[in-house]
Amino acid sequence: MEDGNFLTDDFLRQLIDVGEADILVGLPTHNNAKSAGAIVRTIRDGILRSFPRERAVIINADGGSRDGTRELITELSISDAHPASSLHALRTLHAISTQYANTPHSGVALRTILSAAELLRAKACIMISPDSENISPEWISSLIRPVYYDSFDLVSPTYRRHKFDGLLTTNLLYPMVRALYGVRIREAYMPEFGFSGRLGSHFLGQNQWSNGADENGTELRLTLAAVTGKFRICQTFLGTKDPVERRGADLVPALRQSVGVLFSALEPDFDVWSTMSGSQDVPTTGDDVELLLDPLRINRKRLREMFVSGVAELESVFQSILAPSTLAELKGIAGLGEEKFRYSAELWVKTVYEFAAAYRKSVINRDHIIQALAPLFRGRVFTFVVENRNGSAKDVANNIEGLCLEFERLKPYLLEMWKSKE
Amino acid sequence: MNSNSLNSNWLNSSKDALWYKDAIIYQVHVRTFQDSDGDGIGDFLGLEQRLDYLQELGVSAIWLMPFFPSPLRDDGYDIADYRSVHPSYGTMEDFRKVLDSAHQRGIRVIIEMVLNHTSDQHPWFQEARSSQNNPRRDWYVWSDSDTRYKETRIIFLDTEKSNWAWDPTSKSFYWHRFFSHQPDLNYDNPEVREQMWDVMKYWLEMGVDGFRLDAVPYLVEREGTNCENLPETHAILKDLRRRLDEHFPGRMLLAEANQWPADLRPYFGDADEFHMAFHFPLMPRMFMGLKLEDRKPITEILQQTPEIPASCQWSLFLRNHDELTLEMVTDMERDYMYDMYAQNKTMRLNLGIRRRLAPLLNNDRRRIELMNSLLMSLPGTPIIYYGDEIGMGDNISLGDRNGVRTPMQWSGGWNAGFSTAEPERLYAPIIHDPVYGYPAVNVVAQRESEHSLFHWMRRLIAVRKSSAVFGRGSIEFLYPANHRILAYWRRLGNETVLIVNNLSSAAQAVELDLGRYKGNVLIEMFGNNLFPRVRDLPYLLTLGPYQAYWFRLRRV
Repeated sequence: MEDGNFLTDDFLRQLIDVGEADILVGLPTHNNAKSAGAIVRTIRDGILRSFPRERAVIINADGGSRDGTRELITELSISDAHPASSLHALRTLHAISTQYANTPHSGVALRTILSAAELLRAKACIMISPDSENISPEWISSLIRPVYYDSFDLVSPTYRRHKFDGLLTTNLLYPMVRALYGVRIREAYMPEFGFSGRLGSHFLGQNQWSNGADENGTELRLTLAAVTGKFRICQTFLGTKDPVERRGADLVPALRQSVGVLFSALEPDFDVWSTMSGSQDVPTTGDDVELLLDPLRINRKRLREMFVSGVAELESVFQSILAPSTLAELKGIAGLGEEKFRYSAELWVKTVYEFAAAYRKSVINRDHIIQALAPLFRGRVFTFVVENRNGSAKDVANNIEGLCLEFERLKPYLLEMWKSKE
Repeated sequence: MNSNSLNSNWLNSSKDALWYKDAIIYQVHVRTFQDSDGDGIGDFLGLEQRLDYLQELGVSAIWLMPFFPSPLRDDGYDIADYRSVHPSYGTMEDFRKVLDSAHQRGIRVIIEMVLNHTSDQHPWFQEARSSQNNPRRDWYVWSDSDTRYKETRIIFLDTEKSNWAWDPTSKSFYWHRFFSHQPDLNYDNPEVREQMWDVMKYWLEMGVDGFRLDAVPYLVEREGTNCENLPETHAILKDLRRRLDEHFPGRMLLAEANQWPADLRPYFGDADEFHMAFHFPLMPRMFMGLKLEDRKPITEILQQTPEIPASCQWSLFLRNHDELTLEMVTDMERDYMYDMYAQNKTMRLNLGIRRRLAPLLNNDRRRIELMNSLLMSLPGTPIIYYGDEIGMGDNISLGDRNGVRTPMQWSGGWNAGFSTAEPERLYAPIIHDPVYGYPAVNVVAQRESEHSLFHWMRRLIAVRKSSAVFGRGSIEFLYPANHRILAYWRRLGNETVLIVNNLSSAAQAVELDLGRYKGNVLIEMFGNNLFPRVRDLPYLLTLGPYQAYWFRLRRV
């Protein structure tokens, strides 16, 4: 905004009309007309079923939709001006919308919703992904209850996923956050989550919005802010999470939004994570993580080929990032045939930690560092898929647990590299 | 001047047959108001002494609860003689004095009439039960078994298990919709219908201005129905109305029918049944809207309220002598109301909450004022329950609904100025708790304080009476996006009034679309202050917590 205000006058007017809220549901969108209606109806059902007496609001932060997404959402308000005969609601439920930009930025969307939550003094807030087409009304209750009734500040989701879905989470984010920050949060980069007004205001108050951090990956920053701020965190099981269709080209943006954010947080958070050892479970409601085992076609050959070509093409880049022994090992496995190829947990953890240290030292452009991780991650995925191809859910869980322990065991290696700068 | 001439003068001057539409009705029980003879029980002569007070308050009609001879097992709704007054309250002559004195002050008198049932001590029932062959046997509803009319609900759930009671004298069951000591009259019997019209005629000839007809949905029973709102019942009521209009034009019938709006509508007929009916479903929703800080419950029930004939009127109230009834709400709404207004389970009775207005609203003056503002500005004739105009409290340690029927608190003196009797002789103990007790809450003190609730109520009533738009005008809701603001137009002819209520405990800003009245100025009706002219832009108003504005629109 030209006048220095972040929220538009129109949005502010809508917030004045909403007034104080007990529960706020945030929904970032961009051209989600196909799914938004069903998602908002489900959110509405969840609120009416579980929180019929509470003052609730659904806030849509839109990144410039041209398909009528916003109108579709606001039409689902429950109001005496537009009586919906099939619904029996005790009170008004506003569904309001603001367009924060002409292009989508998840960080700006989250900031918009956090700002609204603070102005409305919302007690419990949740964010819902516009991709969550399989959302059920129970999700709303599961994400809000721990905050609203049990005074938790962050509710991180767990899902029933396919064993090969969310591999960036299982092979990097979860084990690394767990090893460094000492908390076993399965989904640190959360598509859906609940948070308290207290945490929202704390995060909003951190002066990180004007330095480029408002681009993407803000959800992960929020998790880390909750951990470092010693906020009360729990996990809640939401059920099946449909995998989002991703193309190979999506990997680098995904790495930027997750690994890039994590790496960039390590420096300001050093005093916290450097003194942590081991890790603790966080309270979890509902079932534990579940893995689905149905057959899934994965092009392993392509994964390995991309690893091999990446190692060859980016050797000069890797020389400035990786320790010589690590690079040598990678070159070694790149020369192995498919049958013998194995990117071990130890080598993968060393790779990631060396990338983190290089990122901190900015040995080359930081974005190039993140991009360079992509082919190596594909190699690690190849091994993970091969190792768990026939594994039971328990086997896969054990495999992930082994990787986590490896991240914890090698944490001193990262610390050593980190301190070597001084 | 004798009574009859006073009455006829009054009747001659009562040319406006629609007087009830402009009325401010004050509900009072003779027993509770003023004791003139020191026996601890309020009486007619005491009431007469206090008519000046009612005139000062601005009421234009009083509704007297049952004062007939009765065993008083249901506060007089168990009548044992329809043509006399209970000796505790005085004599027929005393009643006539009240009637005449009220009329002299321009105050109409509406009395209670319980058509549906009598006391089991009524001579009619005593005769009827005496033998199966008694000529009055058929004046009540008898059965050899208690299985008839099974689809009929039980109203007093807390005390009654069945609508049938066994009569050991005549060895059969009799029908009762309320307490078992209140047998229902049999309206299928023409003699009963004729007798009850005679009773009404008796009081009309004496000069009463109207009846509040109790429990009217239940007059007739039919197998296979819920025995409520039956066409046969409506036919009987229409016949009573026809006779009333024919012989006593200008008198009024007010229906007590605790029903949903759609079921209430037939009680107005084609302006040929009741003149007025209580809007029962609105009342709990006003409390709900206030607690939710959301206008939705109020606007929704009024959206569902059907149009009524031009000469008819809704009767609105906040509290009365009964529990705050929650029959006409959903289960979810009832649970909410209990949790918000009656967490202490002893406050609950049947399907309702037995509390007075001030305690229900935590004695919050702002909320009491807002609720009264709604009462006086929504379409209908308002009824004020005695004592609520000074914020009287209740005594939930008294059983049944007696906690809201305690003596009127006139002063901080002996027995609150109600009676000179020894306190233990009073029909009910006076409220004496630190918050609502008579030393703190009484008429004398409030009369002396310019900013008391009493004076505020006087002012409110005076403003309401300053315009016919409130009693006779139409209503149209504005739906500002701020759901805590309940705003509506009241219009009558060329007069337009805008009402804006803030249901919230916090100050609110609201933008109102007043474009239709561009060029008008708003005149705030309590202070007669000018507000800015309406222009093209939405009209921005800010309201303090629980604040209400009444604006008259004028072109200047």
